[in-house]
Amino acid sequence: MLKITWVLFLAVIGLGHANLIRSATANDDYWSFQKPVRHPAPEAGQLQHGARIVNAVDAFLFQALEKHGLAPAPAADKHTLVRRAYLDLIGLLPSPEQVEAFVTNPSADAWPRLINELLDSKHYGERWGRHWLDVARYADSGGYETDIYLRNAWRYRDYVVKSFNDDKPYDQFVQEQIAGDELWPDNLDLDPKRVYHITADQKKHLEARIGTGLYTLGPLIHESRLDARRLHYETLTDWADTTGSVFLGLSFGCARCHDHKFDPLTQTDYFAMQAIFASSKEVEIPLMTAMEIGDTRQAYPKIVAIDEARKRYRLYEQQTAGKTLSSEEQTHKEKLLIDIAQKVLALPAGAASVPGTRYDGLMEIPTVSVLGHEQPALLKTVHRLERGELYGMKEQIQAALPGALAQATDSEVDLPKPYGSRKALALWLTEPDHPLTSRVMVNRIWQWHFGRGLVATPNDFGAMGQEPTHPELLDWLATEFIERGWSIKDMHRLIMTSSSYQMSSQHISEKAVQADPENYLLWRMPRRRLEAEALWDAVHTAAGTINLKMGGRPVVPPLAEDEIASLRDTFRWPVSADPQEHTRRGLYILVLRNFRFPMFSVFDAPVSSVSCPTRDVTTVAPQALWSLNNRSVFSQAQAFASRVRKEAGTEAHDWIDRAWMIAFARHPTDRETREALSLMDTLSQTDTAAPVDALAQLCLSLFNLNEFAFTD
Amino acid sequence: MLEKLLSPLARQGTPNHPHCAGSRREFLWQLGAGFGGLALTDILDRDGYFPPRAEAATNVTEHPLMTRAPDFRPKAKRVIFLFMYGGPSQMDSWDYKPELQEHHGKTVEIQTRRRKKKTQTILGSQRHFERYGESGLWGADCFPHINQQLDEICLVKSLYADTFAHGSAMIQMNSGRIIQGHPTIGSWLGYGLGSENENLPGYVVMVDPRGGPIAGAANWSSGFMPAAYQGTHLRNKGEPILDLKPKSGITRSMQRDLVDTLAMLNEQHRKTRPGYSELPARIASYELAFQLQMSAPEVMDLATETQATLNMYGILDPAPEETGCVGPEPFGRQCLIARRLVERGVRYVQIYSGGGHGDQNWDAHGDIEKNLRIHAPEIDKPIAGLIKDLKQRGLLEETLIVWGGEFGRQSVAQNGGKGRDHNPLGFLYWMAGGGVKGGHSHGETDPLGHEATVNRHHIRDLHATILHLMGLDHEKLTYFYGGLKHKLTGVREARVIHDLIA
Repeated sequence: MLKITWVLFLAVIGLGHANLIRSATANDDYWSFQKPVRHPAPEAGQLQHGARIVNAVDAFLFQALEKHGLAPAPAADKHTLVRRAYLDLIGLLPSPEQVEAFVTNPSADAWPRLINELLDSKHYGERWGRHWLDVARYADSGGYETDIYLRNAWRYRDYVVKSFNDDKPYDQFVQEQIAGDELWPDNLDLDPKRVYHITADQKKHLEARIGTGLYTLGPLIHESRLDARRLHYETLTDWADTTGSVFLGLSFGCARCHDHKFDPLTQTDYFAMQAIFASSKEVEIPLMTAMEIGDTRQAYPKIVAIDEARKRYRLYEQQTAGKTLSSEEQTHKEKLLIDIAQKVLALPAGAASVPGTRYDGLMEIPTVSVLGHEQPALLKTVHRLERGELYGMKEQIQAALPGALAQATDSEVDLPKPYGSRKALALWLTEPDHPLTSRVMVNRIWQWHFGRGLVATPNDFGAMGQEPTHPELLDWLATEFIERGWSIKDMHRLIMTSSSYQMSSQHISEKAVQADPENYLLWRMPRRRLEAEALWDAVHTAAGTINLKMGGRPVVPPLAEDEIASLRDTFRWPVSADPQEHTRRGLYILVLRNFRFPMFSVFDAPVSSVSCPTRDVTTVAPQALWSLNNRSVFSQAQAFASRVRKEAGTEAHDWIDRAWMIAFARHPTDRETREALSLMDTLSQTDTAAPVDALAQLCLSLFNLNEFAFTD
Repeated sequence: MLEKLLSPLARQGTPNHPHCAGSRREFLWQLGAGFGGLALTDILDRDGYFPPRAEAATNVTEHPLMTRAPDFRPKAKRVIFLFMYGGPSQMDSWDYKPELQEHHGKTVEIQTRRRKKKTQTILGSQRHFERYGESGLWGADCFPHINQQLDEICLVKSLYADTFAHGSAMIQMNSGRIIQGHPTIGSWLGYGLGSENENLPGYVVMVDPRGGPIAGAANWSSGFMPAAYQGTHLRNKGEPILDLKPKSGITRSMQRDLVDTLAMLNEQHRKTRPGYSELPARIASYELAFQLQMSAPEVMDLATETQATLNMYGILDPAPEETGCVGPEPFGRQCLIARRLVERGVRYVQIYSGGGHGDQNWDAHGDIEKNLRIHAPEIDKPIAGLIKDLKQRGLLEETLIVWGGEFGRQSVAQNGGKGRDHNPLGFLYWMAGGGVKGGHSHGETDPLGHEATVNRHHIRDLHATILHLMGLDHEKLTYFYGGLKHKLTGVREARVIHDLIA
């Protein structure tokens, strides 16, 4: 009886659905589904502020301004520009010497040279890699009940940083992340015949494969009594949604449950995207050669010895349970404990045959989590699911490109199966005339420079998103991006050398405020608050404590008892032993999905459940509490004060000047100096149990000033 | 697109795109940057400055907690959500099942997990049930104090949810979804209604002294909404709010000087940068942070409460002699703090009973009787005290108390033992105050108390009802993110359970 009802139910729903299926042509002419059209940039001679035009960016922006009777703001001063450029490109404050070098350089090419210098800095990749990690929903743990530790996720993070630093062409960057394994299959196993070395090509291809790590660091439903089918389905959902948001700039989410109401995306398109990934699975591959792996195994008895020492200790514990130990027995027990420690210390930290290699954990072979292929016998089919619900299974769906988009690029919809469909997807996405890929990326770059994209919804170029404010500029940039070999660094040069980027943010015009209070037209440079990690970096750079070591396992700064109180199992926050590691850049701090680093949580860091295209910028009292009262901020203020004393002698005036240069890349005004002196004076005269370091308090104040947390 | 954005009409509110036009409104919003908005926003309301509900997303990033008018006249103004982490048993509390007790020890074919039917042994409740109050609702003898309040309580015995696992079930109870990343109820209320107290967070969470619940802060996350809507963990030990007091050894008056200097320097900075509303907002946030150092400890300080009040909440009672039981003192203290919070206008308070692992929470796999001996006395007197206290202060009418866990428990013994496994197929919640019927019971489970049968409600209906009582229409309270208009109740149709409403 029950069975019959179920079938009937499906039939009814199925019938209902037939009415919902509509032709995919409804919105085929939607702007973002059309190939970008390159319009020539407006002629400088035709524009009122034509003399200030450096490149096409200005020409398009100025044209729009002029149309609304507005003018671009004047250029910012050099102090502002140098701080803007450093924070924007490498996310670090310029030192007073770097500031002086730039502002005193009269040469006309000082600005483009500074940009090139910063683009050559290896810290550029850290800054812009972090932007990408937002989009990639990067985290070091899986969330849900167990918050599984994703011990290899950081290799993807380092891959991203390296890719930005190498100025890897964006098409290749896309291809690697979606199908690094399928496009360059010779990376699959490190050649066993080459026992000591990997060829340069193989290394490159291995790097490409690490890009697919994008798919292995998503949220992971792992909990007691897990429903395996649900896990598989949620994984495919994450993979399809991530692909849509990150590369296509389309939020697929709604098509999971029904045909997209406004976009020509059908539910079938959605499950076809899942099907592209259905023959793939996460695999862990070693990052060592056969010889090095052999070395590890050779040392394996040392691990066995630790295990035996542990058993010995446990046995003794059992034997003496409930008993008061004599001093000899106590000594014996301690000896057993020390024996474990000694055997742990006897483990090799790296492979003997290759100097400089390091093992993971105690003695694990370094590996990386990437995409690979499921065994043919274990392949699962993908079905359209009624309302996106797991048990509402309908017809089988084959891997395919989204119909309407494939049409726009004159591409075959069907893809190879069971393997190779990711490769086909990646190649299709990176065809030069793909309507979305380059637009989506130049829009992201624009947003990370100006705070808002030309399309204000960078993960949604569909009908539910916002239309571009400057469609011709967007298309010009998208085509220029491809012409310049998908070079992201070239786009930075283009944007940052424009006079638009160099505008003042302090300029105000009544007319502009009336006509465009939100500054959509970019009549001045928008001010921007530093993101959580950038603020962390700025505090430590000012203090002179920042440790600029790059890459590696996530670092875990210590937290006070109350900061860690909401974490159920405190072992999930294993504090780094070396205090030097506690002042690494924010990018390297452990990202747990169930427990965000408290300061980051307060300053709007993303939740990492899904791709985050734009960070919120909220202003709440807990941010002020952190900057005013947090232990680590105060210790950084003390370090800042000692740095100032060391660098600026004994006069309070000089201290203040130095501190201002470090924090704000400019000298203080007379009034600011007076205020600072007066604050220090008041604080030193107050009676407290311990003497107050007035300079440290002043330095703490600087961390709290708006000017510190914002870029002009 | 530009033309659309620049037209005066568009500037009345582009979804999720903050705008500021009109200097007076701008000035006032600029101040609304603390934990809460300002009473001044009432003036704005009268001036018709607020965008219609559909555009509530406007300004959320800049002025997230500005007070906003509800959709209709609310029954309740605040919620206290008492979360029994681990999943409390319905058939050992207020879902009296004589047949279950009668058939104790017999076997039955029953669906326990994942659609499979299995032969299982019935585990009847060992508790004694009686009728209480004028309403005559049944209650188990392990909750003697709450039972005395049953005439205030509205039972919903026919709820069901989607998952058997703690992690996802808790996320679903708090956010409507089993997937992480969505805002929780308190966030939706903050977004929909704003905050009434600028000196305290609008959404407060207190956890069990034995540890936080599974998945921790994900349970009070604001998901894709701005961080201003996330729950603030009010701590039992140390400082109630993170970084409340200076660590640098300076006195309050010294910090006053420091904050004043900051304000002065920030103000000079602002003057040369007109038209950026976040700058004055940040200036205001420092003043509020400074005020919080007084207001937050004041809420936690029970010194001004009378002996009688402390006694009513069980705070003075010793812990019973049951291993693992911490007695009524910690939860009682939290319930009393909850009252002090709602008195001060805090919108949503959630308290977790149970934390850590195994019998440290309500997850009674091993022995349901032992688990009840641990946890029932911890919450019984505190909750009864909370109801009585709110009532005597005239606060119960506008304060909605919600009691329940992430799911219920099985009517059969787990592994032939004395414990009960998880059960999302049928379980109970109860509510009190806030415009619900007292002494009322809604819905039924089957005779074994296993599966909801009469007036079945998915928990999305419970969510819709909570929003409704707070004056919000769950269909209209939407937040645009990732190309979708999201709702607490999700895409499936949710129904307000009108039978619960007085």
